[in-house]
Amino acid sequence: MKPSIQLLALTIGQGLAVGLTVALAYLASRGVLTPPLVWTFLGASLFTAAVGGVASFFHMHHFSAARYILRRLKTSWLSREALTTGLFGGLLFLLALWTLLATPSLNGEGYGIFVWGVAFFGLLALFVTAMLYATIPAMLSWHSPTTVLNFLVLGLYGGASWAIVLEALSHRPAAALGTIQLALLVLVFIIKGLQWHIFRLARQRIDPATGFGLPFAPYRLQDTGTTKPPYRTQTQTQPGLDPASRVSKQVATILFLGVVPVIATVFGMHAQGGGFSLVGAASVTVGLGLERWLFFRDATHSSQVFFNDAPDVPSRVAEAVNTKRTWASGRSLGK
Amino acid sequence: MQLTIITDLNKCVGCKSCQVSCKEHNTSGAFGPVPDEHPYQDPDGMWWNRIVTMESGEYPNTQVMYLPKACMHCYDAPCVPVCPTGASYKRADNGVVLVDYESCIGCQLCMWACPYGVREFDEEEGVVKKCTLCIDRIEDETLPEVERQPACVQSCPTHARTFGDLDDPTSEVSKLVAERQGFGLLPELGARPAVHYLPRRPAPSPVSRDEISALLEEKY
Repeated sequence: MKPSIQLLALTIGQGLAVGLTVALAYLASRGVLTPPLVWTFLGASLFTAAVGGVASFFHMHHFSAARYILRRLKTSWLSREALTTGLFGGLLFLLALWTLLATPSLNGEGYGIFVWGVAFFGLLALFVTAMLYATIPAMLSWHSPTTVLNFLVLGLYGGASWAIVLEALSHRPAAALGTIQLALLVLVFIIKGLQWHIFRLARQRIDPATGFGLPFAPYRLQDTGTTKPPYRTQTQTQPGLDPASRVSKQVATILFLGVVPVIATVFGMHAQGGGFSLVGAASVTVGLGLERWLFFRDATHSSQVFFNDAPDVPSRVAEAVNTKRTWASGRSLGK
Repeated sequence: MQLTIITDLNKCVGCKSCQVSCKEHNTSGAFGPVPDEHPYQDPDGMWWNRIVTMESGEYPNTQVMYLPKACMHCYDAPCVPVCPTGASYKRADNGVVLVDYESCIGCQLCMWACPYGVREFDEEEGVVKKCTLCIDRIEDETLPEVERQPACVQSCPTHARTFGDLDDPTSEVSKLVAERQGFGLLPELGARPAVHYLPRRPAPSPVSRDEISALLEEKY
């Protein structure tokens, strides 16, 4: 399908906000919070949550109908997403307000419980967002539990990566966040590997026999029905990525999401300041962008069976064809 | 009641008159427009009914089939429960799946949920549009009875399309589906489409006149 900027910003922004809040809750339970550290975390969480919120607003195309968004809470995961993400954003804002106005004891029990509460609602919002994608049977690549795990783990991994930078900037000890980040990285690659395998299986599931009811293979789609790539009015489908392009983007994702951050962490262990961790976190963010772009762009929709034109194969029996006619017919078929 | 259209794939010749009459009727009707961005340059506009052409088999045993593909008005329409605002809904009285443009936010989630790719996004209005089964025609009591059917059904020159109530076992569409093994598309996705197709009959194997003569001589 077509990956829109709003969807990328929405899902990445939400994931980072939740990851940072969970990291803040972890630090609160370790009792290592200081006012500057809390404010850098809250600022970063609020900023990424705002990016996601603004993107989700502009993801709509008919704003006046937004007031009906909670009508289908009973069945629609998008309705639930609006509720849970709104709750998370509201609670995060309340936490910032409390920290600012009431100046609570940052390492006290009450503050820790509240931060964990906000983190819980964040994780819930992330889960609901992931379920939105995972519960669409027609989106063959996403209809799997790995979609949910992928969103959760990548959100936590991105949050942990930026948490290390914020810690380093406020001159606090690392509080084992590096170890957690590495553990999450291992999980990320296990889940990504599984998910890319499921994407490959989904591409093979496109079945003209049940999409057309034709009795015998092989099948060749000759005319997609007065349309042509990139199927402007049908955003659920797009011509598949060519294998070389797919592999190159997967390699880039691995590099930015895993290899560069690990190298930055290794160098950062022997260096002062947060320069290397900043490079690592920036690399993770780029990797998240690539990963999410591939997640949307490489997803296979069941309707692709009606849209993928077969490659042109020259006829084995036709005489030399009038080139003008070939051009005209190719144009009408959208090739 | 579940209104539906049955298409006989033996009769469809791929003339696209249903596709064009659908666009004409709906653009000038209550649910239009069905827009084109560059109507005189680019055929990639919005069509609620598209004729897909497919070839199967290996030369010389090949066959070409034309598949008119519009909203399937599914019994378990997956596009309906995913809609956050209730803009997509299925009418309880006749089973037609419709979109309320006033409450559609244009999130396009219903387009992802539809297994058939028959919903289309109108960039101008920011809403999703689709086949309405010409609900404005079939419920218009000012029209003569014979015209109260979808534009695509009325315009088909080969009478490949039949309109009726699939839940009524005595209706023509129910009989066609029952007697001629009518099938729905992509059954594995569980949407239970109401729109059915009548399968192609096997193509007769080509027999030359000489072969027939030889056979007749041998027999008689």
